[in-house]
Amino acid sequence: MQFFSGSTSTESSLLPAAPPGTGAGGPGNNAHMLYIFNRAGVCLLYREWNRPLRTLDPQQDHKLMFGLLFSLRSFTAKIDPTTAEKGNLGVPLLPGQGCSFYSFKTNTYQLNFMETPSGIKLILITHSRTGDQREALKYIYNLYVEYVVKNPLYVPSTPIQCDLFTKNLDQYVRTLI
Amino acid sequence: MGREVAESCIDGVIIEMVSAYASSFYSSKPDLAARRIEAIGFQVGHQLSERYTMERPRFADHLEAIKFICKDFWSELFKKQIDNLKTNHRGTFVLQDNHFRWLTRISLDPAAVANNDATSESESGADMTSMLLYFPCGIIRGALNNLGISCAVSADMTNLPACSFVIRIKA
Repeated sequence: MQFFSGSTSTESSLLPAAPPGTGAGGPGNNAHMLYIFNRAGVCLLYREWNRPLRTLDPQQDHKLMFGLLFSLRSFTAKIDPTTAEKGNLGVPLLPGQGCSFYSFKTNTYQLNFMETPSGIKLILITHSRTGDQREALKYIYNLYVEYVVKNPLYVPSTPIQCDLFTKNLDQYVRTLI
Repeated sequence: MGREVAESCIDGVIIEMVSAYASSFYSSKPDLAARRIEAIGFQVGHQLSERYTMERPRFADHLEAIKFICKDFWSELFKKQIDNLKTNHRGTFVLQDNHFRWLTRISLDPAAVANNDATSESESGADMTSMLLYFPCGIIRGALNNLGISCAVSADMTNLPACSFVIRIKA
């Protein structure tokens, strides 16, 4: 996906040994970016707090991200050694079918993923020392339901432009480790 | 009494009703849409006030009835009371709610607010919010009507989520 050239990157200032819950973490946030996609692949929200390197233009970036996660979910479900029924490769999976992959980690970042039964995909990219972020993603989904879905002025399946949602989201992400 | 429904269902129904009346039924005539929404609120307020005043004696004067609206009626509907009541003692009352439950999730689109123009097909956020506020105005009017007080109610939303309702009693 993204290749961080050079040995040092600005993330070195973001990897303190801060105890969980303080969220102080130096000048930047500990989370890098957040994507929210709906079932059809429309990017509802893209938020970035700390992204040192940009390789693609935004449209391509969104398409690549959605395509990657779509294929990755299908792949992880199909090679699952514990379930009996597999289905054919290439058949699109319903949300919740098959085992659910929830994160992958590289040496520089960690990508956390959550898909809801309604097809909303939340992708949170953090630095690689964070633990399991499933609770955080559930909380963010809760914020989405409260401030976006229940907003009388929001038209479903359009990009999110709700002030309250982004404010609460930024506030919450600042407390993440 | 009766069974209970989740609050998000009510929120969803109200949002959809306002949006249906404002954008599809009477999209070219916002005044008619506003009147219909207010009329629906009138019916609802009428029936609700019947239910909530079942065990109480008759109200002595207008002020008692308005105080009932501020305290018991509002807490049944929105789980809180009206924060501020002002009157000019000549038939006008201003009820102020600092955190109106149905407005807590509205956030106006910042880009549209900056542009400050509404395209012809879509309503701006402020229009939709004022449409939404006709419904509680109707509820108040219906409730007071059932208590024998005929009045006119209007809403003022200068800063969300606080809003105030102005009741003018017809002498």
